[in-house]
Amino acid sequence: MSLNRYESQVRGPLVEGGKDYHQITEDICRPVEDKPSKLWWIGFIISVCLLIFGVVSIYMDVTYGIGQWNLNKTIGWGWDITNFVWWVGIGHAGTLISAILLLFRQGWRTGVNRAAEAMTIFAVMCAGQFPIWHMGRVWNAFFVMPYPNTRGPLWVNFNSPLLWDVFAISTYFTVSLLFWYSGLLPDLASLRDRAKLKWRKFFYGVASFGWTGSTKHWQRHEALSLVLAGLATPLVLSVHTIVSFDFATSVIPGWHTTIFPPYFVAGAVFSGFAMVQTLLLVTRKVLGLEEYITIEHIDVMNKVIVLTGSIVGIAYLTELFIAWYSHVEFEWFAFKENRVNLSSPYGWAYYLMMGCNVLSPQIFWFRKMRRNLLVTFFMSILVNVGMWFERFVIIVTSIYRDYIPSSWSTYYSPSIWEIGFYLGTFGLFFTCYFLFSKFFPVIAMAEIKHILKRSGDTFKDNMTKDENETLDEFEHENAHHH
Amino acid sequence: MNNKYWQGFGEFNKSEKFQKRVQDEFRDELPFEDFDNTSLLDAKAPRRDFLKYLGFSTAAATLAASCKTRLREAIPYGNKPENLIPGEAKYYATTFVEGGDAMPVVAKVRDGRPIKIEGNDYLSNTNGGTSARAQASVLDLYDTHRLRFPQRQVAGKFEESTFDFIDKAIAAELAGAGSIVLLTSTINSPTTLDIIAKNPKIRHVQYDAISYNGMLLANEASGFGRKIPTYKFDQASVIVSLGADFLGTWLNGEQNAAGYAVGRRINEASPAMSKHYQFESFLSLTGSNADERFTHRPSETGAVALALLAALGGGVTAPALKDAKLNAGVTKVAGELKAASGKALVVCGSNDVNIQIIVNAINAAIGANGTTIDWSRTDNAHKATDKEFADLLTQMEGGQVGALLVHDANPVYNYFDGARFANALKNVKTTVSFGYRMDETTQLCKYIIPSHHYLESWGDAEPRTGVYSFIQPTIFPLFKTRDYQTSLLKWFGNAQDYEAYTRAYWSQKTGNETAYHKALENGVLEDAASGTGAYNGGAVAAAVTAIASAPVGGKDELALYQTVAIGAGSGAVNPWLMELPDSISKACWGSYALISIPKAKELGIDTGVDYEYYPDKPVIRVSNGKTTIELPILVIPGMNANTIAIAVGYGRNEKLGRTAAGVGKNVFPFTSLSQSGSISYFVPNITIESAGRKEKIAQMQIHNSYEGRVEVLRETTLATYRKTPNEVLDFRKNLAATYARTTGDFRREGTLYGEHDKPGIKWGMNIDMNACTGCNACVVACHAENNVPVVGKSEVLRFHDMHWLRIDRYFVSEDANPDNLKGVVFQPMLCQHCDNAPCENVCPVAATNHSSEGLNQMAYNRCIGTRYCANNCPFKVRRFNWADYTGADSFPNNQDQKLVGVLDPVVHQMNDAVSRMVLNPDVTVRSRGVMEKCSFCVQRLQHAKLEAKKADRPLKDGEARTACQQACSTNAIVFGDVRDKESAIAQVRLNNPQRLFYSLEQLHVLPNVSYFSKIRNTDEIVPEGEDDVVDPEDRKKGLMEPAKENAHH
Repeated sequence: MSLNRYESQVRGPLVEGGKDYHQITEDICRPVEDKPSKLWWIGFIISVCLLIFGVVSIYMDVTYGIGQWNLNKTIGWGWDITNFVWWVGIGHAGTLISAILLLFRQGWRTGVNRAAEAMTIFAVMCAGQFPIWHMGRVWNAFFVMPYPNTRGPLWVNFNSPLLWDVFAISTYFTVSLLFWYSGLLPDLASLRDRAKLKWRKFFYGVASFGWTGSTKHWQRHEALSLVLAGLATPLVLSVHTIVSFDFATSVIPGWHTTIFPPYFVAGAVFSGFAMVQTLLLVTRKVLGLEEYITIEHIDVMNKVIVLTGSIVGIAYLTELFIAWYSHVEFEWFAFKENRVNLSSPYGWAYYLMMGCNVLSPQIFWFRKMRRNLLVTFFMSILVNVGMWFERFVIIVTSIYRDYIPSSWSTYYSPSIWEIGFYLGTFGLFFTCYFLFSKFFPVIAMAEIKHILKRSGDTFKDNMTKDENETLDEFEHENAHHH
Repeated sequence: MNNKYWQGFGEFNKSEKFQKRVQDEFRDELPFEDFDNTSLLDAKAPRRDFLKYLGFSTAAATLAASCKTRLREAIPYGNKPENLIPGEAKYYATTFVEGGDAMPVVAKVRDGRPIKIEGNDYLSNTNGGTSARAQASVLDLYDTHRLRFPQRQVAGKFEESTFDFIDKAIAAELAGAGSIVLLTSTINSPTTLDIIAKNPKIRHVQYDAISYNGMLLANEASGFGRKIPTYKFDQASVIVSLGADFLGTWLNGEQNAAGYAVGRRINEASPAMSKHYQFESFLSLTGSNADERFTHRPSETGAVALALLAALGGGVTAPALKDAKLNAGVTKVAGELKAASGKALVVCGSNDVNIQIIVNAINAAIGANGTTIDWSRTDNAHKATDKEFADLLTQMEGGQVGALLVHDANPVYNYFDGARFANALKNVKTTVSFGYRMDETTQLCKYIIPSHHYLESWGDAEPRTGVYSFIQPTIFPLFKTRDYQTSLLKWFGNAQDYEAYTRAYWSQKTGNETAYHKALENGVLEDAASGTGAYNGGAVAAAVTAIASAPVGGKDELALYQTVAIGAGSGAVNPWLMELPDSISKACWGSYALISIPKAKELGIDTGVDYEYYPDKPVIRVSNGKTTIELPILVIPGMNANTIAIAVGYGRNEKLGRTAAGVGKNVFPFTSLSQSGSISYFVPNITIESAGRKEKIAQMQIHNSYEGRVEVLRETTLATYRKTPNEVLDFRKNLAATYARTTGDFRREGTLYGEHDKPGIKWGMNIDMNACTGCNACVVACHAENNVPVVGKSEVLRFHDMHWLRIDRYFVSEDANPDNLKGVVFQPMLCQHCDNAPCENVCPVAATNHSSEGLNQMAYNRCIGTRYCANNCPFKVRRFNWADYTGADSFPNNQDQKLVGVLDPVVHQMNDAVSRMVLNPDVTVRSRGVMEKCSFCVQRLQHAKLEAKKADRPLKDGEARTACQQACSTNAIVFGDVRDKESAIAQVRLNNPQRLFYSLEQLHVLPNVSYFSKIRNTDEIVPEGEDDVVDPEDRKKGLMEPAKENAHH
């Protein structure tokens, strides 16, 4: 037992390999300073191809109209808004990690926050594409901006949840971007200082905003981080709450559900962590960063997944129960016939969602499973598939058979351009991510160094001696020093 | 200068301060800082000015780059025609003529273009209603596939010719021709008949696509003469139809419907309505309106008629009917007919002389002649007899016909042996077609003198004896066409053209030209009715014998029928009609075979989820030994188990145009000449087998049951209604009691928001579901009035149809046995113009909003196309422009989709400059990417309001009428200002509290469209909520607040 131990009792070491400060800088800067690997090039080219496919898909949609998608008079939203909600949800993990965990002083966030924040920004960029390009007349998209104009002036409709989305998403994007970038400054300065090539020096010089590492800079940096964390924290809750309002404030059975805000937020964090897992498992392997993104990190995030997955599961069951308990026949029909009924056209989607989101994460109650990389990777994919289907189930299975039976829709499946648009956002996401991993440090060097002395393996090992000391020995030792 | 004018002391005294102010009053330069000949960056305040310049140049560049639109020129009149005010509509009474059917209509003409057909209120028995085909006929005028000039065949190919040349050539040929035959559909135009009568050289043969030979000859045999009477459905309390689709395609459906609806209206004080029995082999539009239906094989029609006559004590012996339900039905119906003697009517759709003779005997037995059957006004729509044409055919084959002049007859297509006629045509030296399009018969003629459209013609019609209807042109002929009557006059030595002939004829008949002009203005002229019919039963015995020896049906039988849209084929060239979903099948753009549920089981067709949700339907092969066709099936409840029903009119020739070509199959070859000498429209013995593949059927509605959702619509039986008349009212009261416990005002207390007072007009509509027969006239009227785009089969298949007004059709069947069809409900569904509209609050840009008059409005220019409104519309009436259907888009060349959403040729046809002439200039043509929906015909409302304003008086009830309301021949739709206590809409709502309901009222969306519940006249007592998804007690609980619920117990 030790009085001066300030290490976490419950966590293993968060940095392995007996690193010192220099070693950390070397490790994390290496991928940025080296030539990209073959794997990087392959991944990058595939991403760009997908991106081009997406651009062609959007070109078709804008030139010929939304009829290029298989939506119809009954199903006004399909893959477009499903993908929107899915991408927005994914972004949430990054904000949660960077903001809420910062406020709660969770040291383990430092290994993953940079990549997670980048993921947030790219995911929000992807998400934003859908509400924009799903407009029938996208060239008039600026009508949603409330500014004094020459058209009357015509003002936006502040009652519309879609307008709230505009504010919510743009705010979210701005704050996330600022947060991410301000965190990058010290690391960019490190890269600048290490740069040997002229353009590199110039690029990182401009990008690091003249960071010198003075105490004043650090002090301001810390303060800014806290302020932005304070701003971002409510956003973690509000953004998906507002996205859920798109549905919750409507009159459509299956959409008009008061449980949506917390349910959506939990789902968002759930899917976001799954995406972080997917990305980091690949990143740590490809960039050789296993010593910084440790099994310990993965274990912790899997705990978040099982927690949020269970919350989502409870939400599903609550929703189902209330649909029955409320005796609103239309809502009960939407659940009983459109979803639970396996022989209904989209029954399979409901069970896929249930299986992926509620049942499969329960595997993470077992420590062994949480720390198994293959299982984690597979699960992270499952969860993302499941969460995509959650949005699909909510959106499509609610509207394809709503109040008026005459308007019940024929079977909806996406057209090639709908699929192309979705794949295109993957292209955008990974293109950005690959560029990010090439030009920016994927782990926050400064912050890792910050916790090295508390959570690094060397430090923890050195603690063992202290831990084994008795009080007397300890007192003696300390007294001796004096 | 002594005078000095001054305005103030400053000016008077010329003070320095004043002078400076005068000098500074107007600055000549923009308030930019001076440059002082220095460069921009060195100027005094360069940054600020730089931003100004930047702002200006960006804005200018944006304007210059983005505001370039296609230049479209509008050319004003060089000489303005008299009485023509641009933008002001003119209305001309004229007559829609199709075959022998003639319907008085009024054509709305805007800037010289007829754009809309309305009913003529002057006619005594149509209520000013029209049919779907009459509504759509204006589009035929602008058909791109009309014949545009006279042509003649040279070496097997048609070449353009001139009237003069052809006139000379034909006159020469006719002079040498022996027998000259004029082959037409039924003609009831007095002037035309006069022209023919005055030229004894012409032998007139009438041939109708759908023959009424059986009725004509039967009536002759029964002593009434070779005539068809008119029927007074309004006078009948018991109506029995033996397969007659009298509300749709049988003898002036819309006129019959107008009378029929009179007896179907419910007076809440003493609820009663006529009783309608239908015996038929498949589910027809009329059958779907019946109170009770009995099905039989098509070959059993005679047996059923005989059984009915026998049960009425007609002194005949009837062959036994195998089906017990049918037998019981005959007995029951006979009893009711007897009881309602003098107020009963039996009609029969068969074309068999003997069966119609039996029907005449039945009607005589129940005292229908003179009461419900009117022999003083005989129907002139069908005068052709089948023998006449058969004889002609033989003569043609024998080379006895020298010249054949064909007008509006197309035997190559619609005669059962069209090929024989085509062959026979080769034996005729001179063949002339007055065709309007290059139809199957016209293609084989040597000369083509294309006729005018009726909207370009002069003329007249006598649809019923003593009722005259006039035709006057509403537009100068678009192409080089000519009235066929003018041709006849010319070729037979009369210098007059047809216009002059008509004027002379009618001026003489009405007394003078002024009277004729008056008649033209009104469009109709009615003589006093005269004449009665005396029944003679002499032919019955022979008819009984003939029926008894009629061929017995085989395993499966085929029934051929007409749809309201396509008729015998005339509608197949009209995009509006092709896109009109059939009332029963809800399918459009193609033909299909209706089969029964047991037959589907027998063929192993799974009618589960896939059948409903995918448009691909199994294809069957139908054969009568000679003709074999393959068609996809639709499974319909309430069909005779062994009857397959297929609509005629499809399978048209390529040359008829992009609309008709290749759509569906022609089933006229299945018709035959029966033993009694009439064309028979059923095949007693066919073989059917699965073709092992699937074809797509474009349906606009795929789910057939309303799932017991009483919130959506209300329907019940008369007995139930009498027992619990307040069921609907109680539901509404319960809503108020639950959600407005303080004030009882559901409207105001049911929402958190306050309500603004909106004084003045408040528009409202009521639809009586008991009066609606589902005839679809309103749907086409809406299509025409509001420039609704035609999207073609490929887009309908993708559920992209654009109709603003649709008629939802629900089958009401027993849960355990869906084939036991109890009734069919038609619910016209359009924008409900909700006062608390869920679409309005979700639009991010406020493109859809509410007017102070209660209209839910669309600002198309404002719409950015998020489709959120459509998702949130509980009635699903909003329609999105998925592609550039109208060519109105600002993106050029975007109708050439290659991979997804390839547009059908018809879309391009509708965008042709000629087709676009039909567009209503008062209604915006919507471009791609915007949402649209019913506007309550706001352009008509505005027009009526303006007229009232110009006359400085308040708007009168009935001045503002929506297109759907105008088209309805049963007056099912009532529209007006609900604040006006005297208005029809306010009155009907006030007087029918028991049947009044609003669809989905519990959502508190506050619709402005109300409905009256549908009531079937049966004795069955429907237990409350029998069909409901949720137990009715539970439903009540669901609506109650828990506190109140506890207080109850």
